[in-house]
Amino acid sequence: MDECQSAIPAHDGDLHVVAAAHHIVKALGTTKNLSDDLRKILIDLDAHLSLITSNIDSKGRKGFVEVEERLKRVERKIVIWESDRIMIWDSGPKEASDYLEAVDEVQTLIDSLRGISMNENQKQKELLHRASSLLQMAMSRLEEELIHMLVKHKQQSEPTYIPSPSSQRNVVYNESVVSLDNESAKEASSKNSCSDECGEYIVDLVPEHVIPDIKSIAKVMFASDYGQEFCEAFIGVRKEALEQHFDILENGKLSIEDLLKMEWCSLSTEMNKWTWSMKIIFGVYLMSEKRLCDQVLGEFGSVNSFCFLEIAKTTILCLLNFGEAIAMGPQEPEKLLRLLDMYETLADLVIDIDALFSEDGGSFVRLEFHKLLEGLADSVKAAFNAFGVAVSSNGSLYPFPGGGVHPLSKYVMNYISMFPEYCSTLNLLLEDQHSDVASLVSEPQCGPTASLSTSCPMACHLRSITSSLESNLHKKSKLYKDEALQHIFLMNNLHYMVQKVKGSELRPFFGDEWIRKHNAKFQQHEMNYERVTWSSVVLLLKDDNPGSSSLSKSAFKEKCKGFSIAFEEVYKNQTSWCIPDPQLREDLRISTSLKVVHAYRTFLGRNPAHVDDKCIKHTVEDVEKLLFGLFEGSPRSLRNSRRMMKT
Amino acid sequence: MPATDYQASFLGRISIRRNQVIAMDGNHEQELQDLELFSKHVSERFAELLSSPDDIPFDALLSISWLRKLLDFFLCCEAEFKGVLMMGNDPSQISKPPLDRLIPEFLDRSVKALDVCNAVTNGLESVRHYQKLAEIVVSALEQKPIGDGQSRRAKKALTSLMSAMNVDDKECSAAKATERSWSFSRRGVSSKDRVPEHFRSVSNQVAKNWSAAKQIQAMTNNLVPPRGAEGSGLASPVYTMSVIMVFVMWALVAAIPCQERNGLSAIHFPAPKQLNWAQSIIGLHEKIGEEWKKKEKKGTAGLLDEMQKMEKLGNILMDFTDSFQFHGDITDQKAEEAAARSAELAETCRRMEEGLLPLQIQIREVFHRIVKTRTELLNALDQVGKSSPPLL
Repeated sequence: MDECQSAIPAHDGDLHVVAAAHHIVKALGTTKNLSDDLRKILIDLDAHLSLITSNIDSKGRKGFVEVEERLKRVERKIVIWESDRIMIWDSGPKEASDYLEAVDEVQTLIDSLRGISMNENQKQKELLHRASSLLQMAMSRLEEELIHMLVKHKQQSEPTYIPSPSSQRNVVYNESVVSLDNESAKEASSKNSCSDECGEYIVDLVPEHVIPDIKSIAKVMFASDYGQEFCEAFIGVRKEALEQHFDILENGKLSIEDLLKMEWCSLSTEMNKWTWSMKIIFGVYLMSEKRLCDQVLGEFGSVNSFCFLEIAKTTILCLLNFGEAIAMGPQEPEKLLRLLDMYETLADLVIDIDALFSEDGGSFVRLEFHKLLEGLADSVKAAFNAFGVAVSSNGSLYPFPGGGVHPLSKYVMNYISMFPEYCSTLNLLLEDQHSDVASLVSEPQCGPTASLSTSCPMACHLRSITSSLESNLHKKSKLYKDEALQHIFLMNNLHYMVQKVKGSELRPFFGDEWIRKHNAKFQQHEMNYERVTWSSVVLLLKDDNPGSSSLSKSAFKEKCKGFSIAFEEVYKNQTSWCIPDPQLREDLRISTSLKVVHAYRTFLGRNPAHVDDKCIKHTVEDVEKLLFGLFEGSPRSLRNSRRMMKT
Repeated sequence: MPATDYQASFLGRISIRRNQVIAMDGNHEQELQDLELFSKHVSERFAELLSSPDDIPFDALLSISWLRKLLDFFLCCEAEFKGVLMMGNDPSQISKPPLDRLIPEFLDRSVKALDVCNAVTNGLESVRHYQKLAEIVVSALEQKPIGDGQSRRAKKALTSLMSAMNVDDKECSAAKATERSWSFSRRGVSSKDRVPEHFRSVSNQVAKNWSAAKQIQAMTNNLVPPRGAEGSGLASPVYTMSVIMVFVMWALVAAIPCQERNGLSAIHFPAPKQLNWAQSIIGLHEKIGEEWKKKEKKGTAGLLDEMQKMEKLGNILMDFTDSFQFHGDITDQKAEEAAARSAELAETCRRMEEGLLPLQIQIREVFHRIVKTRTELLNALDQVGKSSPPLL
C-alpha cells in the first residue's frame, strides 16, 4: 500500500486523472462476471481512490468525508447486532452475508487508512481507531458466532452405532491358569468381533451445510489477522467434543498405579475398552476431525495441523498412557488374548497415526505410538512364554477325581484354539524365538518337507505348548494310585486334545501326522487300561486244564466266586470313573465287553453242568449290562445296581 | 541354603568361604568407589542447579530451561544409579536384606512417579494454551498505533489468560470442566469483554480424586536414610535415587499446573543435612518451598518462571488496557511502557514456543527411563528368585 502514499497528487491536473481512474474502477466493478479476487482488488482500489479524492478535496487536512460516511454505514450494520440476542447465522444467510460484507468493508477501510501517511492527521487517526474498534467488535462477535455454530451442531453428529463396550460382545476369558485345579473351565472366548467392522469410518462431526459458514468466518478472521482467536475458539470446542466422545466410550480414567493393582477381571474389561476406543477414536473420530480441519483450515497452511494436534493431543495421551501401563505390567498368561487384541489394533492403526500426524509437531505422537507398539509386541511375547511356563508348571497335589478331562487340558485347548485368529501376528512376533522351539518340537512337520501351515512359527509354538501339556498330564497321572485310572486319565485327556484339534481351526497347524500320532497314543492308553484292569480278571476264568472238558463243581464254584469278587471290585471302582466323551466311553465298553463277556460266556459254556443260580452270581447278560454302567462318573455299589436291574 | 549341603567336605567349605571373601573384597572396593563417585556427581549436579542465577532469565530457577537441565541431571543420575546397582555387582544382592525391602519400595515410588509424569505432561498442555493466549495479547499490542480496538482485543485475551491460569490453579476438577458450558444467553449481557471465550482447563486424564500432592507425599513413605552399616552398602544409592526422584517430581508439580496440589509445601524430605550430596537438594527444596508458600497465598497457576512472568506482565498490561478504555487514549510514555512489556511478553512466549515441546518430550523420556529401569529390576529380582532355592 506504500505506493498509494506517493500517489497522492500534487497538482490539480492530477485530480482529473484520479477522478477518471476512479470512474473506470467503479465501472469495472459493476461487471457481472468478475472473479472474487479481482472484485476485491477493485473494491480496494476504489477505496484508495476515494480516499485520495477526499484528501484532496479537503486540502489534505480535515477531509475523509466519504470514508467517514462509509464507516458510519458499516458501523450501523455491525453495531445493530450488538444489542440483538439472536445469533446472526441463525437469522438467515442474507444477514450472515451482509455482516461478512460489512466486516470486509471495515477491513478495506482500515487498509486504506493505514495506507496513507499519518502526518499529524488527527481525523485520519480517529477514523482508524474507530474502524479498529469496529473490527474488534465484529471479530469478537464472529468468534461467538463460531462457537455457537460449532456447539449447536456438534451434538447432531453423534454417531449412533457405538455399542457399549461392556455389552456381551466379548465373552471374556477371565480365568487364570493358576487357579484352575478342579474347576471347570469356561468355553473359549470369542475374539473381539469388531476388529474389521469399523475400520476407517469418517463421519460428519459438523453437518456438511455448516462447513461453508465456518469457513467464511475463518476466512474473514484470518484476513483481519484474527487467526489466533479463530484457532483458540475452534480448538476449544472441538477438543471438548472429542473428549466427550472419549468419555462416552467409558474409559475409566485410571492411574498407572491403579491399573497395575487391578484385578484381572476388571483389567480385562479395561483392555477391551481400550481396544475398542482406539478403533473408534482413531478410526472414526480423529479421521473425521482431520477432515473437518482440512475442510475448514486447509487453506491456511500449518495452522491446520497445529489445530488438529491441539484438539487431539490430550485424548491421545490418555490412550497412550493406558497402553504404556499395560505394556509395563506383569505379563500373566491370561492376558495373552487381550494383549494380542491391543497389539493388532495398534498395528492396524499405526499407518493412520503416521498419516494423521505427519507434520513435525506430531512426530512426538508418532514416535510414542511406535514405541508403544514395540512394547506391546514384547508384552505379547512375554505373555506367550508365561503361558507356556504356566502350562508346564501347573501343579496339582491331588489326583483329579474320576480321571476325566482335566481343567488344564480344557483351558489350554480352548485357549489355543483362539490363536489361529491371530495367526499372522503370532507368526510375526514369535519369529525370532522360532528356531529354538522348532528344534524342541521334533515333529516331522517342522522339517523342510512340511506344509506351510504346520511349519510356521505359531504352529511350532502350538505343538510345543501341547507337548508341555502332555508331559504335565503325565505328571498329573502319576498322582493316581490305580494304574488303570492313570491310563483312563491320559486316554481321556489325549482324546480331548485330538478332538479339539480336529474340530477347530487348529487342525491345519497340527497336521494329520500329529493327529495320527496322538490317536495312536490315546488308543495305546485304552489298550493299557484293558490290560491292567481286565487281564487278571479274565485270567481267573482261564481253563487250568485245557485237556479236560469241564471243571469239578468246587473248582467251578471257586472260579465263579473269584470272578464275581474281582468283577464287583472293578465295578465299584470304575463306575465312579469318568469318560466324558460318549463315543469314547461306548467304544471302551464295547471292547471291554467283547473281551470280558466273551471270556465269561466261554467259561460258563464250557461248564454247563454247574450252571445254576446259586453259584453264578452274575449271568452273562448281567455282566454285559453292568459293563455298560462303567465310567459314568457316579459310584455305584453292585447291590444297588442289581436291585435296580431287577426292578 | 540348608546347612547340610556344606557338610560334604570340610576342606571344600573352607575354600568356598575363602573364595567368597576374596570375591567380596574385590567387589566391595569397587562398589565403594562407585558409590562415592555416584554421590559426588549427584552433589555436583544439584549444586549447579542451586547456583543458577536468578537474574539471567534464561536459566532462572524453575524456568523451562532450568527444568530441562533438572531432567537431564535426573537422567544422568538415574543411569549412574542403575550402573551402581546392577552392573559389576553380585545380582543376588538385590534380593538380600535390606535391599529385598528397599527395592520393592523404590519400584513402588517409580510407579507413582510415572503418574506424576503423565499429570505434568498434561499440565504442559495448559501452559501451551496460556502461551497461545499471550500470543494474542502480543499481536494486539504490537500494532501501531494502539487504539481502542487493539486495547479491547488485548484485554479480552488477557481476561481469558488470567482466568485460565486461575482455573487451572484451583483444583481443576472434572466438576469444573462440566460446569462450563458455552453459554448462548450471554448475547444479552452488556459487557462484551467480561466473558472469557477461550475458556479451557486441564483435561482430566486421571481420576477425579487423584492428587499430585498426595501422590508425592506417598512417594516419601518409608523414605528414610539408611542407618548404621546399611549406610555404606547399596541401600544408600537406592535412598539417594529415591530422594532425587521425589524431588524432581515435586519440583515439576510445583512448576507446572497439576491436579490438586494443596499441601505441596508441607511435603518434607527426610534428607539429613550431613549428607554431602543432599545439601543442594535441601537448599533447592527450601527455596522452591518458600516460593510455593507465597504462591499459595497469592494464587498462581504454577511456579514455572515463564508463567510467573506471564502473570506479572499480564497484570501490568491489564491495567494498561483498563486505563486505556477509561481515558479513551493514553500518553506516549504509557504507550512506550506497554510496548516494552508487550515485547517482554513476546520474548516469554518465544521461550515457551522453543522450550515447551522439548520439555514435554524430555518428561516422556524420563517416563520411559523409569519404566525401563523398573522392568530391568523386576527381571533381575525374578532371575534371582528363580536361581536361588525357595525359602519355603
